[in-house]
Amino acid sequence: MKISKRNIASDIPTASMADIVFLLIIFFMVTNTFAATRGLDFALPKEEKNPPLIEKEESVLIEIRPGGGIVVDGKPMQASAILDYLKPILAVNQLKPVIIRPDQEAAYGDMVKIYDILRAGKDHGVEIRNISIPTQREIDQFWY
Amino acid sequence: MKLKARKQAGAVIPTASMADIVFLLIIFFVLTFNIEVDKTQVSLPRTVLRYEVPKKAALVSITDSGQIRVSDGESASLPVTGPEDVVSFAAEIIARQPDKEFVLKADNGVAYRYVDRVIDALKQARVEVVYLLSDQETVDGG
Repeated sequence: MKISKRNIASDIPTASMADIVFLLIIFFMVTNTFAATRGLDFALPKEEKNPPLIEKEESVLIEIRPGGGIVVDGKPMQASAILDYLKPILAVNQLKPVIIRPDQEAAYGDMVKIYDILRAGKDHGVEIRNISIPTQREIDQFWY
Repeated sequence: MKLKARKQAGAVIPTASMADIVFLLIIFFVLTFNIEVDKTQVSLPRTVLRYEVPKKAALVSITDSGQIRVSDGESASLPVTGPEDVVSFAAEIIARQPDKEFVLKADNGVAYRYVDRVIDALKQARVEVVYLLSDQETVDGG
């Protein structure tokens, strides 16, 4: 007796794939955020018990006043003029520390602006290797 | 004379390539997927130089009114009462991972004293690198 073999269809059901894939897309679109993921790096010095004392005269002091005014070594100055002021000083001693000291009431954005100018100095022929932003506690503890 | 009936052109939208396009979109979203650990709305300062912040870096955010939130980079940010909490939070992370980077997401207009205390807290916790989150400064300063 001949037995007839019945072929069973071997299809993968793909009808609902488009729906699933669209749901996935909608999920990723809704939850995805293109967050700001860039910024300026700022290396924090290690805490030392006896940090080397820096005399006022040995460094360039950039003070940032409330309202955004800038005073460099006691002289009021425009932000754009800082690099021109530093160029001859750093030509003599490239490791001279440049200290940014924002007033406690100054805006954070003004500090970042000056730090950005100093960091970008390399592109304008003024490489500043030693930028320091001491905190108020360090100033109270170690200065002068 | 009887005119022959016009042959109707089928109005079919070609959907054969839809699956490919949709899969490409999915791959794009999977690769760029990034859960935002901190949804604090701040107006970031603008800088010319901007470097890529390491993924999963711990985060400290400061709003324009000085409110601080912290996140270890993996879970959602939590509010803290002051810089003292930032010291213990950061010290705990540094104890587990000494080279962990931190991101400071502070508002452009916040008084520097708030930022100063947070930076000091991070210094005390022996954090080595902090990224100051910023937006891109354009050439015309806009």
